[in-house]
Amino acid sequence: MTEPETEASNPASAGRTEGLRSRGMHDIGPDQMRRFRRAEARFLEVTSAAGYQEIRTPTVEPLHLFTSAGALSPQLLDRVYSFLDWDGWSGERMVLRPDSTLPAVRWFESQAGASVGEPARLSYVQPVYRFDAGDGERELWQCGVELFGLAAPEGDVELLGLARELLSALGLGELRFELAHAGLLRAALAATGLDPAGQIEALDRVIEGGEDAVEAVAGELAAASPERATGLRLLLEIRGGAGGYLDNVEAALPEAAQPIAELRAAVSTLEEAGVACDLAPAAGGSFEYYTGLTFRVLAGNEACLLGGRYDRMAEAIGGRPAPASGFAADLLRLAALAPEAAS
Amino acid sequence: MIRVALPRGDLRAPLAERLRAAGFAVEGYEGGSRAYRFPVEGRPGVVVRVFAEEDIPIQVALGQYDLGITSRAWIDELLARYPLDSLTPLRPLDLGGRRLVLAAPEGVTLDRLAATPGVRVTTTHPNLAARALNYLRVPDYRVIEVWGQPEAWPPEDADAAILSVPLDAAAAGAVLAREGLAVVAEVQRGSATLVANRDALASRDLAEALGPLLALPAGDRDASEARPLPRGNGRTGGLEGIASRTSDNDRGVFRLALPDGHAQRHTVEALASAGLRFEGYGDGATDRHPRSGIEGFEVKVIRPQDMPQAVALGCFDLALTGRDWLAAHRAAFPLSPVAELCDLRRSRYRLGAVVPEAVPAETIAEAIAWWRRDDPKRPIRVASEYVALADHYARERHLGRYQVLPISGASEGFVPDDAEILIEGTETGSTLRANRLRMIDVIMESTNCAIGSTERPPGARGELRDDLVERLRAGAAEV
Repeated sequence: MTEPETEASNPASAGRTEGLRSRGMHDIGPDQMRRFRRAEARFLEVTSAAGYQEIRTPTVEPLHLFTSAGALSPQLLDRVYSFLDWDGWSGERMVLRPDSTLPAVRWFESQAGASVGEPARLSYVQPVYRFDAGDGERELWQCGVELFGLAAPEGDVELLGLARELLSALGLGELRFELAHAGLLRAALAATGLDPAGQIEALDRVIEGGEDAVEAVAGELAAASPERATGLRLLLEIRGGAGGYLDNVEAALPEAAQPIAELRAAVSTLEEAGVACDLAPAAGGSFEYYTGLTFRVLAGNEACLLGGRYDRMAEAIGGRPAPASGFAADLLRLAALAPEAAS
Repeated sequence: MIRVALPRGDLRAPLAERLRAAGFAVEGYEGGSRAYRFPVEGRPGVVVRVFAEEDIPIQVALGQYDLGITSRAWIDELLARYPLDSLTPLRPLDLGGRRLVLAAPEGVTLDRLAATPGVRVTTTHPNLAARALNYLRVPDYRVIEVWGQPEAWPPEDADAAILSVPLDAAAAGAVLAREGLAVVAEVQRGSATLVANRDALASRDLAEALGPLLALPAGDRDASEARPLPRGNGRTGGLEGIASRTSDNDRGVFRLALPDGHAQRHTVEALASAGLRFEGYGDGATDRHPRSGIEGFEVKVIRPQDMPQAVALGCFDLALTGRDWLAAHRAAFPLSPVAELCDLRRSRYRLGAVVPEAVPAETIAEAIAWWRRDDPKRPIRVASEYVALADHYARERHLGRYQVLPISGASEGFVPDDAEILIEGTETGSTLRANRLRMIDVIMESTNCAIGSTERPPGARGELRDDLVERLRAGAAEV
């Protein structure tokens, strides 16, 4: 994440208050707050017009909500603010909410009246807390939406359209969507014939990331599974444009037909809207909960929004199976990127 | 002055020998002196301070010491939770090779642990434990941090333990087999390691100490190389979630916890004056499971520090511990369902704030003003084994900006160099006087006591608890 805009301050008084603010935490002054509120209003306007209703969830949550099977990756769990509260004698740790999606899933699941077939559309604006080893932001104002009950590709198409509309309404130009698919990487790993622990290890290394690591994994996997070598290299090392790339991946990895069909639907939605998109199928980010399409939107060179499909999460926390997907962005970042007139 | 932190305990004798051979002879350290600070022969710019192994990483990370030698597990325990850029491991040494393993009762697999809701894991290394369980994809765990003997908890009181065992697989297997445990996964391995404070390395000339310390024999790769984190097999669900522990199930057995270590002598006396005696407790050897001779009455020996939590978790109906440990537990967890049932009136001592005799103050407020006379923003360092009590004290006495330094024993050596205040116990004050310290503020007078759940156990267990408490109370009246 980038540094927040800080307003001019008096160096002498800054010295007086040194040590009175926790590392990675920042005040939001009046000017920045005005921009924040304008961006927030625009976010709520656009999402509410699309049928999304706002919710807010607790700041303090039990850690095990986030360790629930396949929820957050160990890499992200390493970065949560966790502590023992007054009930901590039970050994149950609490966290400052590191992500808004799981609490939203829990809220959806807690609504006894919600009928399974009916899509539910939720939005939120609230802070999340994650350690950053350096001086980066540790409190992020996350704005996002969750869409329950609409499967791929319809749900994906709706979210991509909404993301595009939101960013355009904020006045962000030069939008480019990077698309990936969690199922594609998993199908490729399964096709290597590695045992489940080996597949998890490879997935961890890809998530832990860096291009070198991804290349190394690609090389090792290709060596272990020569008949899949072309497909794996295509997937892990090469970024693609539109249709032709997907045709090539499908030819090399026939077991990945379903994820490829979902990616095709996403690509055609974006092409129809005249929005540029890239395919980087191995890009996942540190959320293990994704099961389908994942996407990242760049405005110019700035990444400003992340999203994806997580169809198995409701079940993982003990709820009913429900197709689900969502996206989230750092609202302060959006406010800083939005031209003053547009936001 | 270059400040070097060295470990006491098992590493001390073999390390002292290697230090001398490397030209870094620390006279009293070799001899096992009870002092805390030592000069180094022929190296006037170096001072050595002895700490418990687990206290060394935080001291070096804070920059209070420039260099240190301690077990890799304690370094990793700090780094697992706090990815500090201030602590730099420099070199593994050829001694103290150990590994931390996740061990469970024989026959219990990782799949089964992963499928158990709220799986309970005891450990002295909670940060490494949580990290390993995340990487092993155990979805719903409770890490219980204990003061010692995590292996004593399974199978009755925990599902698994994460504990330190020898590197050698056969030796480790033998240690675990005695407890009825087997390795499920390796969590960490490493040997004694030389660490440095990064800022000190970057800006100060440490050669007078660093030269000989870098000449210490290096560890072999197998013992010292960082291992990849353990990985789960990614399978979740599909298995019955059957907890292997039994104590908090609906049981008919009455369970009593007795303390080991220093507390044992006073406990044996308290039991004797209540007309109670358990075979295998206080009669020479201490067994993990002393015998009551009564059907449906189990006795188990654990650390007194861990008893309030064990009672709160429902593992025991009655436990004999110190009121200090109960107060420390309640300071951390005010809602914990554990209560004092009876004061045993033995093991009497005062717990309070200890400062150097030289501090010209009569009250803690005056002492704070004196420490801050030149720098009003100076943080006050409070060192204590009783972390939650120390934190509570610092808030209650309005210390302003403060740091609580968790330590494990040998606390007299901490002030004035490494902390301003100790939260510490004293029976007669003689140890404090010998170290030119005094208690400026009394927090509590502690004695030993019987504790139990705030809710009386049902049926015969409740009646037995009432009876034992009544006998202990009568015995204590004679003190």
